[in-house]
Amino acid sequence: MRIERLTLRNFRNHGETEIVAAPGLNLITGPNGSGKTNLIDAIHYLCMSRSFVMSGDQYVVKNGESYFMVEGDFRGSIRASFTVGCNYSRGQGKKMFVNDSPLEKLSDLIGRVPVVVMSPEDLKLTRDGPVERRSFLDSMISQVDQRYLRDLLEYRQVRRQRNKLLQDAGGRWSVIRDSLEVWDRQLAERGAAIIQTRAAMLERFAEYLATEYRTVSGLMLKPTLRYRTIAEEWGDAAELTEIFMRRLEEVRERELEREQTLVGPHRDEIVFYLDDMDIRKYGSQGQHRLFSMALKLAQLSVYTDELDDLPILLLDDLFGNLDQQKTETIVKALARHRGQTFITAASEQPYDEGLFRGDGGAGAGSGSSAHRWFTVSEGKVHLKFTEENHGI
Amino acid sequence: MQMTSEALERAIEELTRLPGTGRKSAQRMAVFLLKQKDEKVFALADALVQLKKSVVRCSSCGTITEQDPCPICVNPKRQNGVICVVEEFQDVYLIEKTNEFSGVYHVLGGSISPLENVGPDDLRIRELLERVRISREGMKGENTVETEVETEVGAAAHSMPDQTPITEVVLALNPDAEGEATAYYINKLLQPYNVKVTRIAYGIPMGTELEYIDEATLGRAFASRTAF
Ligand SMILES: [Zn+2]
Repeated sequence: MRIERLTLRNFRNHGETEIVAAPGLNLITGPNGSGKTNLIDAIHYLCMSRSFVMSGDQYVVKNGESYFMVEGDFRGSIRASFTVGCNYSRGQGKKMFVNDSPLEKLSDLIGRVPVVVMSPEDLKLTRDGPVERRSFLDSMISQVDQRYLRDLLEYRQVRRQRNKLLQDAGGRWSVIRDSLEVWDRQLAERGAAIIQTRAAMLERFAEYLATEYRTVSGLMLKPTLRYRTIAEEWGDAAELTEIFMRRLEEVRERELEREQTLVGPHRDEIVFYLDDMDIRKYGSQGQHRLFSMALKLAQLSVYTDELDDLPILLLDDLFGNLDQQKTETIVKALARHRGQTFITAASEQPYDEGLFRGDGGAGAGSGSSAHRWFTVSEGKVHLKFTEENHGI
Repeated sequence: MQMTSEALERAIEELTRLPGTGRKSAQRMAVFLLKQKDEKVFALADALVQLKKSVVRCSSCGTITEQDPCPICVNPKRQNGVICVVEEFQDVYLIEKTNEFSGVYHVLGGSISPLENVGPDDLRIRELLERVRISREGMKGENTVETEVETEVGAAAHSMPDQTPITEVVLALNPDAEGEATAYYINKLLQPYNVKVTRIAYGIPMGTELEYIDEATLGRAFASRTAF
């Protein structure tokens, strides 16, 4: 899958911007604050209906304006070509469009254009609390499995309804006994489906992770992961549902006291290890960086193997803090990606040229060897360099 | 600002309350109406008044109607031993359009939603149980025989045909968390009555409101309803 044309209006510091992207590698350089990250964030909006830098839609609107708009023309092997649009205005909120027809739910968009983002923020995946890891996992699975996203949204709704009942109960079980039952069953069924899917994905994912960590670190330390959920072991979904129901019974008193749902996939944890060492607790700065990169590269591999269309890869300021040698290792790791890639970097780095060369570097996007280099300054984009290598 | 017509201002005020109507479009509508011929505007006003004056809820099924009981409930050709339970009266129209269902309806008036403070008692669930219970009185010991009930031709149009014992309750609720919870709840309460509880199959995309489904899909879903 690739984006051919991207249009932004009133998107952060971009007043009116249009770029025609190369099918292979697109390099975007410019000083800090020039608006280069905003370009790839706009692409992210068209894939996932939101920003990848955690910020609300209202902050995306350019100063002094009342709305923003993003539009992209996409081309893939399954859906030949289509247009995705995103309109947001302060009064009317956000609306997503595919070929000019509005999507009823934003979630209908997810998975249409698979995307992987790598940014310095990825450090949070191994360093911060379980929320980061759960949302990484949810976003990864949602893009390959529509049913999972639906289960997730429904589970969240059931949990909200259930929490409201627990609040209404005022600590008295008798008040809600009959009403809670209908929500418990749904919570358990949907929760079990989510847990099953997560467990299955993590099993496949672990192998990709081991491979990618070796690639980026060059070391033989073995990364592993452990999935902590409501049970250690279970048979099929029906059995897991029953376990879930029993767990709900066990925590009933505490749930009435705390007035919220205390067991379920919303409290899952994924623990990452490097040769038996809990990386969140004991990992060095360098290990955190390499591990989080390996996580994203593993996501890329999952998509490459499991989807009909290659994902779009967005690299935000990834090399800023890396030395030359590490940079080259990463570039080599990315070289295997044959889909469209966007890279932002603070002004001209020594490796820029390398990315376009025929050796290792040029691989990023080698599936199609056409490259483009854009420079950005104060929300204005210029095409600096273009290469259409039809011959290769 | 000085207004030259308070009536216009009032009309705009009222029109703004229509769903999806901002002040600007309300203003456009009011001005448009003002320029129309008298009869046209009076006809519209009358239609609105009649809508409120003559439309009532059917005391049996809860759908909207101008005669109580509603034409579906009094139609002797409908199998009143099969009841289809829906959330809103709009759903009755949608299902009628499919021509797949020949039973009668029961409109709940919503679905269970603690977040919106709607509990089972706020819906017409007790009325449903009453309908089932009364219809099955006097069945004890007897074998349920599907008796053809033919009302005499010329019977008062507004009187209910004889009630056959209700043997099947079809749940046609929205396939969302709230519809699902409501279905569980009703199914549980119906257990003692020994009626067959079925639900329309999900040929319907999850999370989609019945309103948004095309007739073909809804018709298929109906034809393939399954046991609860
Ligand atoms: Zn009726």
